[in-house]
Amino acid sequence: MMGDHLSIDQLLDLQESGVEPGMARTRAHLDSCKACRLEADRLAQRSARLRALPSLRPPRDNWGGIRTRVEAERRRSFLRRAALVGLAAAATLLLAVWLRPLAPVAPASTGVAEARSRSNQLEQFLQAYDADSRVTNGRTAHLAVDLEDRIALVDRQLEAAQLLEARQRDPAMLQLWRQRVGLLDALVDVHLTQASAVGF
Amino acid sequence: MVAALVLSESEQVLTRARAGDIAALEQLYRAYEVPVYNLARRICRSVEDAEDVLQETFFEVCRSIRQYRGDGTLWGWIRSIASSKALMRLRRNRYRDTDELDEEFHQPVTRGESGLRMDLEAALERLPDLTRAVVWLHDVEGYTHEEIAGLMGKTPSFSKSQLARAHTRLRRWLGEEVA
Repeated sequence: MMGDHLSIDQLLDLQESGVEPGMARTRAHLDSCKACRLEADRLAQRSARLRALPSLRPPRDNWGGIRTRVEAERRRSFLRRAALVGLAAAATLLLAVWLRPLAPVAPASTGVAEARSRSNQLEQFLQAYDADSRVTNGRTAHLAVDLEDRIALVDRQLEAAQLLEARQRDPAMLQLWRQRVGLLDALVDVHLTQASAVGF
Repeated sequence: MVAALVLSESEQVLTRARAGDIAALEQLYRAYEVPVYNLARRICRSVEDAEDVLQETFFEVCRSIRQYRGDGTLWGWIRSIASSKALMRLRRNRYRDTDELDEEFHQPVTRGESGLRMDLEAALERLPDLTRAVVWLHDVEGYTHEEIAGLMGKTPSFSKSQLARAHTRLRRWLGEEVA
């Protein structure tokens, strides 16, 4: 208390809700002191007048600026997300390339069937060409024999591969059939080159 | 304004605003721009600062509207953002120290021809920054001392003492002292 009267701090405390038990003496003074009640009323009126002050209004419309910022941030956010998605896609692609030997995209059996079909076509062509009845130079004959020997070797490896377990067999067969197709292609090339050279 | 607040708190507007609908966000802005600006202008010293606070507040509202779960009123949520932004602005501007101004404004303010209300406006404007912020947040916006302390990063005792100082000064400047 200031002298015989309550201070502003005490009057403010009395205004707070849930006044502590220790404030009983202060409240008793307020009830019995006319000057303090007048001061408390003025305090309450001052707060009420503050609440009654007119609302100040913004001098201009600010929504345009806010909207521009919101939309700019959305664009930045979209680009960040797009960059992250692109990064993730690139990482996935790299991983797929890295794992490719371990996990072929198409089943090996499908590749084997295709390679075998291509091999049959090339063999039919060579039979129809009938290289044995044609005149060949020494170099062509040497290359042809070498290729035929390598094809025979691949055929023996294909027979051996048939005995492997299915998990290992399919990739091995695919590789060997592709090798066989490559060698037959080369053999066809050798014969056709010889034919064009002699004016066939 | 009350009708606008009720309208804005309708679930439909909120749902659209949360989905990022610009038109719904603008509806929220139109409903709350005056109370937010008023709060900012009462705490900050200049129109420019108050406009910055208004923009910062609604930019934050647009960004964070999904985080508003409806635990309190929408106005309560927006007001807490606005109060925080306004106090940040004061700190950035290095608010004027309370005690430095004590002597400067020791003389009572004479009543102008515009009447008592203008006197109160002028007296409020003359309060030091933090003191004015406390009296506005407590007496007008209805914040408790604990809440003000949280917003300002101070103690409830600080808030209480600033409020008492504010009323002591206002009483003197408005010529209301008991003889």
